[in-house]
Amino acid sequence: MEDYISVPLVGFPIIASLIIMATVSNLSEEMREKMANPIRWAILLFSLGLLGLTTAMFYNFFGDLNGFEGIAFNNYEFHKRYIWVESLGIYWSVGLDALSFPMVWLTTLLLPITIIATWDEKNGAFYHPLILLMGGALIGVFVALDLFMFYVFWELTLIPMFFLILKWGGEDRKYAAQKFFIYTFTASVVMLLGLVTLYFLQNPLEPLLYSGTMTGRTFDIPEIVNYATIHNSGGNWFLGASMQKIIFAMLMLGFLVKLPAVPFHTWLPDAHVQAPTGGSMLLAGVMLKMGAYGMFRLPIALFPHALEYFQLVLMAIGMVSLVWGSIVCLGQTNLKKMVAYSSVSHMGVICIGIATMQPMGWAAALFMMFAHGIISPHLFAVCGAFKHHYHSMEIGSMRGMAKHSPWLATSMMFAWMASLGLPLLAGFVAELMVLIALWHFLVAEGWSVLWMVGPALVLAVTAAYYLWSMQRTIFEGGDETQPPASMDGQPIPDIANHEKLAMFVLAMLTILFGVMPWIALDMMNDWSVQIFEGLIMPILGNFNGGV
Amino acid sequence: MSDPIINVELFDANFTTALCPELILVAGFFALMIIPNLGKATFRIPGTQIRVPYFLGGERYPIFANPRLPGWIATITLIVAFVSVLMSFDGGLQRYMIVSGSKELLLINGFSRLFELIFFGAIALAAIASMNRLQSFDSSDKSTNALYNNRRQADFYILLLTTAMGMAIVALAQDLFVLFLGLELASFSSYVLVAFHKESKEGTEGGMKYFIVGSVASGIGLYGLSMLYLWAGTLQLGELAVAFDAAMAPQGYPALPLIALGFILVGFGFKVSAAPFHFAAPDAYAGASSPVAGILATASKAMGIVGLTRMLLIVASPESNDDSAIWLVALGILSVVTMTWGNIAALGSDNPKRMLAYSSVAHAGYMLAGLTAIGAWNWDPELAGHGGDAAIMVMTAILFHLVVLVCFKLGAFLVLSILESEGEVSKMSNLRGLSKREPLLAVSMFIFMISLAGVPPMSGFMSKLLMVMGIVKVAIGNMGDAIFNGDILSIGDAHWVWWLALIMVLNSAISMFYYLRVIVTMYFHEPEGDRQGPLPSGWQVRTAIFACVIASVFFGINADGLIELCEMAANSLNYSWASQ
Repeated sequence: MEDYISVPLVGFPIIASLIIMATVSNLSEEMREKMANPIRWAILLFSLGLLGLTTAMFYNFFGDLNGFEGIAFNNYEFHKRYIWVESLGIYWSVGLDALSFPMVWLTTLLLPITIIATWDEKNGAFYHPLILLMGGALIGVFVALDLFMFYVFWELTLIPMFFLILKWGGEDRKYAAQKFFIYTFTASVVMLLGLVTLYFLQNPLEPLLYSGTMTGRTFDIPEIVNYATIHNSGGNWFLGASMQKIIFAMLMLGFLVKLPAVPFHTWLPDAHVQAPTGGSMLLAGVMLKMGAYGMFRLPIALFPHALEYFQLVLMAIGMVSLVWGSIVCLGQTNLKKMVAYSSVSHMGVICIGIATMQPMGWAAALFMMFAHGIISPHLFAVCGAFKHHYHSMEIGSMRGMAKHSPWLATSMMFAWMASLGLPLLAGFVAELMVLIALWHFLVAEGWSVLWMVGPALVLAVTAAYYLWSMQRTIFEGGDETQPPASMDGQPIPDIANHEKLAMFVLAMLTILFGVMPWIALDMMNDWSVQIFEGLIMPILGNFNGGV
Repeated sequence: MSDPIINVELFDANFTTALCPELILVAGFFALMIIPNLGKATFRIPGTQIRVPYFLGGERYPIFANPRLPGWIATITLIVAFVSVLMSFDGGLQRYMIVSGSKELLLINGFSRLFELIFFGAIALAAIASMNRLQSFDSSDKSTNALYNNRRQADFYILLLTTAMGMAIVALAQDLFVLFLGLELASFSSYVLVAFHKESKEGTEGGMKYFIVGSVASGIGLYGLSMLYLWAGTLQLGELAVAFDAAMAPQGYPALPLIALGFILVGFGFKVSAAPFHFAAPDAYAGASSPVAGILATASKAMGIVGLTRMLLIVASPESNDDSAIWLVALGILSVVTMTWGNIAALGSDNPKRMLAYSSVAHAGYMLAGLTAIGAWNWDPELAGHGGDAAIMVMTAILFHLVVLVCFKLGAFLVLSILESEGEVSKMSNLRGLSKREPLLAVSMFIFMISLAGVPPMSGFMSKLLMVMGIVKVAIGNMGDAIFNGDILSIGDAHWVWWLALIMVLNSAISMFYYLRVIVTMYFHEPEGDRQGPLPSGWQVRTAIFACVIASVFFGINADGLIELCEMAANSLNYSWASQ
């Protein structure tokens, strides 16, 4: 079978963008300006090609992604493995399953949309290649099936994002970029130590197919997962109870900071507020999902016992993130900060979905990752357009926008509606499923169903802050003939055509996946059921009152 | 490695084969003294008109009067020596022991050869870079300044070669006295090299400080050696190792060798700039010209590690106690203090060279943590669990780290060296706007910084990963088996060196702050007032930087070959010990 992943989806974007940036950096200023246009066209066309490739994969033009290999637990479609560092058992190993594919598709979708939405970003000859580099690194995280490779791409995503924030960010960008880098780096080195400890706790006396010549252990994810599944069965704990909990906690720390969950979330608002529009779109759209993806890929697949043990802790973290994110939203006057905190609360929803330990909760978490990946870039595109045209981020600074910029006002309203979970839009499906899974969980645990009031109330709060901001920005007129103060008396433009196009596509997809969620949800449902049948049920038995 | 060690007497048949790189250095040394002095000197035979030319002195020939010539001679000598070491690896390395009677003097094996690669490579890069760094004038310029600067070229490069020679001797030495000789040869050359930076007052001051602290440390080390001799009656590594083994008694070691060991640790601790013996290092690095500082931070550090390895792992070897080495706790504390102190001090320093100096203190701490981990485990392959490779792995990591350190730490110093050519670089603000002035240099510096910080996919990450893996492997040992036999174990049951790995990764997160600051300064600040436009500098130093960049990236992405080389070297260290 040909390799559809390594070169087109990972290798080429990274290498091509590096070459473009190296070439451009040797050009004079005017040449850079001249080259910006051809470069962004080339990158746009290439990223559309990537989108075509992943879409073709989804419709089984080649491979059989929706078949057994893509759905069943620990089976991967398009799986390819090449030797990388033989002495340590490191392989360049890529593959897709129903867990990673939606994320890869989302990345390839957001690449062209981000490029279109920020078509006229300054210094375009560097900006657009950097976006492509970011995309390649993100896809690398999702397709990696080797712990080493996973970690390398995990860290590699930091570098382009760091530069996007620093070079194109707002006033306080230096602080924000460094905070972002150091927070996530610290968490991930702890994760690395956990991975290395896990690596050496393998028993090299057992036959491992892909072990290193020097160490006798392997970094290969499918093999480790297999190995763990065997040793988790029959009431045993893989690595023993105490050790399993420690490694689980170390890995989860890395993923929870990335997610981010309260109390590790403080880097996110800073990073978002300072990041340029394109950076925010990719950061919120895909990069945060790396945390949730990583949880499913490693700790959950390897340590179901520990997951059960920490279930309530995870639930508490999710609840606190959800509530805290929403309440802090209410107090924000900065548009982007408000959207960033709403991301925190949505990530809390994902956390709750995982903590319910129900197939439906997990499918909901997966769908939430996907839906939030479409809605939040829309939100940030709107925020970026607002900043671009009104030179301000303050919610109160601009009133009666519906009058001045009807397109932007419409887009903003639509994005907010989608984010607060309006029925028939994508976010609603995920939220509803999480609530149902939570209900199942409460009933199964024998807890009072009154616990449901919390999340439900929070969703009401979500509606409150969006509607309130809407009232303060879009509708309330004041003196509608007077442009806002931040414009310095200049006429107010509406959003440009390329921005309209990007927002329109995102809005259409939000509706599409709201009305017909099964397009993506089927795959996720199947995968969740499969992982329960293949992993959780055999190991943990009939817990939580069953499915 | 199955070939036996061939014993070679001085000037035996195999002598030149065995010591080829060193002999090349000696040849270069003489060439450097003679060639720049070749001239039209003649000698008139008394009483006749016949003038016999003898070529040394007089009016010099134009080619030999070229002030750049010494630089080229030194560079070519070092590169040829480097290549000859590299070629000796070809088709399996033949091991030699240079002996004098029953005394073993120098051992040529994978371990010592790898270190020679590090030394010659680092010093060759520094020599290439110094050609642009060290001012020279056209030989027709007769001003005092020009004459003075042209004259001192040869001195500088002779000192570089003697440094290389001393380091090579340290790497090969099998007798502590020979080792000490090499150490002093290298040290004294480097004291002068530090003070050679006469453009700044800090140069002289730094050289003086480095000399005073260094000679005190050497003195203490020498004192330790004399005590060791008093106790064992020999300074041969092999015999000392046997003596240490024999001295192992249920009630513990006698006091004398332990005190000696402590003193020697101080001597080598200074060389690797381990806290608290590092105080002279930041001053010396900041005072020296950047290529020299680069040598101090890479090759000189590697030399200290050789000394520590010989002393701690060969002589006071871990297996001589029941399970762990006698110096384990002391070295563990030293490593934690060193890495933490280095990182915290680097956070607060505004001088890029001092910052790099403190970061090299932190790196010394990581390597000491590695050595500690080896001490926690039986160094004997038969006792060391699956294949006896836990300790080998850590040693591999240390060697790998030392090799790639030459790429990115020396590279960073070379970038500063270019900046120095337009004036002092004593503030972080001197780096401002480098990305606008010199995009390629800024990219190089960026790669060096993220390599130093250990961000994938750079070689710095690979070395840090190997080190963490090695330490964790030592700490966990055979716990994997125990767990699968049904025992309930937790991290607390792992050896305490596991916590060294945790402290190490947290430290590398702290170090992120100051490396990022360099990047931010380069990319996101406007250039300072009078520091505008591209930098003046020749192609030599840029070539050296380019080589460093390529190596930094290459060994990160395709590390397999280098890992195997380091593993072979680590193994040869073990075998040579086992054969004694």
